[in-house]
Amino acid sequence: MTHGTDGTGGGGADRAGRPDEAHGTHDGADAVTATTEDDARTEEAAPARRRRAMGPVATAVAVFGELLITAGLVLGLFVVYSLWWTNVIADREADRQGDRVRDNWAQDDGRDPVGLDTKDGIGFLHVPAMGNGEVLVKKGTSTKILNGGVAGYYTDPVKSALPEDEKGNFSLAAHRDGHGAKFHGIDKLRKGDPIVFETKDEWYVYKVYDILPETSKYNVDVLDAVPKESGRRKAGRYITLTTCTPVFTSRYRYVVWGELERVEKVDAERTPPKELR
Amino acid sequence: MIPVPWCDGRDGMYGWIWRHLPGNAWVRALISLVLVLAVVYVLFQYVFPWAEPLLPFNDVTVDDQ
Repeated sequence: MTHGTDGTGGGGADRAGRPDEAHGTHDGADAVTATTEDDARTEEAAPARRRRAMGPVATAVAVFGELLITAGLVLGLFVVYSLWWTNVIADREADRQGDRVRDNWAQDDGRDPVGLDTKDGIGFLHVPAMGNGEVLVKKGTSTKILNGGVAGYYTDPVKSALPEDEKGNFSLAAHRDGHGAKFHGIDKLRKGDPIVFETKDEWYVYKVYDILPETSKYNVDVLDAVPKESGRRKAGRYITLTTCTPVFTSRYRYVVWGELERVEKVDAERTPPKELR
Repeated sequence: MIPVPWCDGRDGMYGWIWRHLPGNAWVRALISLVLVLAVVYVLFQYVFPWAEPLLPFNDVTVDDQ
């Protein structure tokens, strides 16, 4: 170490006014700043700053301590990333895709009805109680899809019905935190609250009739066409929202069931149903 | 040679990096800031997206079990 000489032998030389040259690295580079540093040094020279060389143990402890601090900072950054940055990215992505879906709808107007474009998304979910605007709904609940800041309808392990189907359960999943956190406010939903699903031509207005605040993530029965845990025994047109609970974990699942109340035709101005006004 | 008093006599890797940066204290501080930002960028852009699925914090879907 260069500092061995600097510290042990150089205490006197420091005060003599040629301190920097003991240090090989900065000989040339510091030529310009040398004067200012020298000035500073004469001022603080009195207490005779001595650099003591650290022993190998002390150095190891210092480096280890710095690694621990670094690890703590990196973990802190990971929290920032998970809870904030993924939302920024996902919202941006979802907004773009949502715009594309609406553009498609607008272009298709007046021509023959085309089938649902499941790749871009099949429509928008509006849950006024969650207070987060519209949520694009796409096919599938893989991590890749849900990380795009959307809600996905299940294809696996239980195949979801679609809203326009005669009978069945329209089952959806979205993130509780991070990646858009589209179902973050699911605990704000109460029985009787409306859930509205918007497609190109229809508003599907559902009403919440049962809530399961905690269940195992392996409990896929909640997605059944007739969700028995909600108390229903007959086939009907249901909607199921699922997400993680408690917040900031993925330990359990929170489930909200709704039942179709009515279907409204979309008018020319896309006037939302009264639940959304 | 030692522009900051709290760095005086202490080593460790950050001290080592500081001593090996060129320029005076301001230049070094600026370079340090740029280095920190670069590290944060690499973490957010590459490391965290890679590490996230390996960590058990956010597996929403049952089919990932």
